Amino acid sequence: MSVPDRTQPPEPGPIRPFAFPRLERRQLANGFNVIAARAGDLPLVTALLVVDAGAAADPAGKAGLANLTALALETGTRTRSAGEIAWAFERLGVEFEVETTWDASSFEITVPAGRLEPALELFAEVVRSPAFPEREVARLRDEQLAHILQRRKEPRALASDMAARFIFAPEVPYARPLIGTTASVETLTRDDVEAFYRARYVPNASSLILVGAVDIDEAERLARLYFGDWPRGVAPRTDFDVVRAVHETTIFVVDRPGSVQSEIRIGDVGVERHHPDYFPLLVMNTILGGAFTSRLNLSLRERHGFTYGARSGFAFRRKPGPFIVQVAVATDVTARAVEEALKEIRLLRDMGATEEETAAARDYLAGILPLELQTTEQIAARIADIVVFDLPDTYFQDYRARLATVTADDVLRVARTHLRSDRLAIVVVGDAEQITEPLRTLGVGPVEVHRVE
Amino acid sequence: MLRIPFERYRLDNGLRVILSREPRAPVVAVNLWYGVGSRDERPGRTGFAHLFEHMMFQGSAHVPETAHFALIEKAGGSLNGSTWLDRTNYFETLPAHYLDLALWLESDRMGWLLPAMTQAKLDNQRDVVKNERRWRVDNQPYGDWDERLQAMMYPPEHPYHHSVIGSMEDLDAASLEDVEQFFRTYYAPNNAVLTLCGDFEIAHALERVRYWFGEIPPGPPVPPIPGVTEVPPFLGEHVRAVVEQDISLPRVYIGFRIPPYGTPGYYPAAVTAHVLAWGKASLLYRRLVRELRVAQDVAAYAFPFVVGAAMLVIWATARPGVTADALEAALDRELAGLRDVDAADVERAIHLIEVRHLSDLQRVDERADLLSMFTMLFDDPDRINTELDRVRAVTPQAVREFAEARIIEENRATLQYVPRDGRRGS
Repeated sequence: MSVPDRTQPPEPGPIRPFAFPRLERRQLANGFNVIAARAGDLPLVTALLVVDAGAAADPAGKAGLANLTALALETGTRTRSAGEIAWAFERLGVEFEVETTWDASSFEITVPAGRLEPALELFAEVVRSPAFPEREVARLRDEQLAHILQRRKEPRALASDMAARFIFAPEVPYARPLIGTTASVETLTRDDVEAFYRARYVPNASSLILVGAVDIDEAERLARLYFGDWPRGVAPRTDFDVVRAVHETTIFVVDRPGSVQSEIRIGDVGVERHHPDYFPLLVMNTILGGAFTSRLNLSLRERHGFTYGARSGFAFRRKPGPFIVQVAVATDVTARAVEEALKEIRLLRDMGATEEETAAARDYLAGILPLELQTTEQIAARIADIVVFDLPDTYFQDYRARLATVTADDVLRVARTHLRSDRLAIVVVGDAEQITEPLRTLGVGPVEVHRVE
Repeated sequence: MLRIPFERYRLDNGLRVILSREPRAPVVAVNLWYGVGSRDERPGRTGFAHLFEHMMFQGSAHVPETAHFALIEKAGGSLNGSTWLDRTNYFETLPAHYLDLALWLESDRMGWLLPAMTQAKLDNQRDVVKNERRWRVDNQPYGDWDERLQAMMYPPEHPYHHSVIGSMEDLDAASLEDVEQFFRTYYAPNNAVLTLCGDFEIAHALERVRYWFGEIPPGPPVPPIPGVTEVPPFLGEHVRAVVEQDISLPRVYIGFRIPPYGTPGYYPAAVTAHVLAWGKASLLYRRLVRELRVAQDVAAYAFPFVVGAAMLVIWATARPGVTADALEAALDRELAGLRDVDAADVERAIHLIEVRHLSDLQRVDERADLLSMFTMLFDDPDRINTELDRVRAVTPQAVREFAEARIIEENRATLQYVPRDGRRGS
């Protein structure tokens, strides 16, 4: 055996092909969409139902209603109580999972293929004929209120909530927590839940995604059986303008006396999912703060030791979500950390990135795609993106080719367009007594001190 | 019947190698377990095993500083490491044609770490780890619960008495000499398991493993775990503590000593944890959350420790207006009910474990980590296929007997968190 040459990284072998699973679609007469993708070598199926009933659709004054409605579905149907529903799922080994985002509410089970039919029958009953028992809705509302209380004492959640509040004007849904505020959730009633359900949960604004040991014919058969007679409704639209809250860079100190770290969020209004700069922005953000070896992490963690980790990201939604840099740093280096993070933002905006950095970021994003598509749940989640954002079915087949077109010039262009340093909302949750003066001394903008009631 | 394929080998230097082919996607998971964890730390150096793990990413003789992360990320891979009581693991998942890159990086730091170590790197990573402690523990509601509970459950001379993250003072005391000594003692092929899972040919992969790892010399025999590793099976008394913190809701943690992971006595405890708090039909969810409405959330977990005794931990967060004492009393009533648990509760728990295990096995990185674990802890990689049989063999009677023997006052530690503004008793 030869002696290894350890002085250079070994050359890669020949690349092996990767293909996103092929999607097949059918639509039922009531407008209900069925999508299937065969994947995996284990006898499992993930069923994911996506409904156009996200938190952006919360009526005025009723923030948190979409979330409460989604959670309340499994607490009773015309024939079963909450306890009976839980038993019926779990004795099959199935957990019924619920998630509400700004753009959709989704319901998911992963089940051995042999138990798909009974599990899906129950799933359909829960989604289609919820009874919303008064007592259960009240319980869930009280739990949601308690979560809001907990978020005030949890520095990461508090920082994220405060960042949203200071990035977006108060009338923008994104300005408030997705689960609502104490004032809004206290007003929510069983009738609000039922009304939201009636308006939003219709087959023609819903898609059932089946991934795993299943094909489109079987998917269609099951969909017809359990969702075929769901009466079509009017699919409502959600529209609003996204307006920023700050017009000059401002530091908002949120006092948390005795904090040994400061949770920093540097935020701005980002872009919508459909923005033409989507791929260049992914690459640009990877260079700035989207990977371990991105500039923010190398500076704040590996060079300065201020933090366990720093990152940045765009929340791509149907409307422009936030762009946020986030980092937790030791209290005594708070101002220096803000200064260094702003320096990295300005540097990328002014000078752009090298061809080498751009290539590394492109290759990283292209390479991790198959790693993140190993499970039926992961594949179903990507198909849900196709549904929610109305992307072409071939989107993930073409994903790597589109990344490959991004150049260093594109990175510079989108950094100049989308990274601003003159109108940032900088939120710092920490010990105001220790951090306010050093933050003022930075001179990046006015400093306001807030207390959490 | 589960049939994850694998081949096992042992190199002349003692490195155990598991190769599991799974060619469905063009990716490969490379996973290394070293038989060292926080249990092996000596007094005055708590947190060192984890700090050392950070140093493993700071380059080695042929790998420049920051190159380890940069090369894997540029290849389109993800990577990390983690430290636990009984082991330290390092893993990367990357496009299959970059297998050699991962083997080069892992073999270089296994064989040639020390020439790259400097005081500046140690000082930097010490600051990073101290910030990790602030982030996970000191600045987080209930963040120190595991540290406190471990100290209550295990005597000072036992290796599980202290937490993985360690104390700030001990992190400050760590020196470059400690790095060198720790490396020479524990980081050797004869104290490691290397697992590859993914898209490769077995013969080729084995040849590449031999090529990169074959020339690394074995280390000396690994010293025994320090301290007193045997503990009585029961705590002997009900140990209690109350902590005031800046939190909005009280929380109660209850721990019981249980038989070590891997022994027959462990599995009834694992099933009990699921009976209690996994899923919305679990005992504690349905009683404390849905019916009585005294808890905001509930959880239970049988921690899979292997030295002396493991622990079953049950916790619940109070609803607003409910005191820690009232919540604890409600927990006590449900725990007492375990002694005549229904067969249906046990069957439900086992079905949930089965489906979750199957679902986890979809990932090559998860398969690789389990194969490394079962090889390192039990010298039996086939447990990836047979472990579920041990779970399925747990009968309702076994759960009842477990509860009767172990879920008792003399074997219990209770840790209450209460809001700083007071109001504890009812």
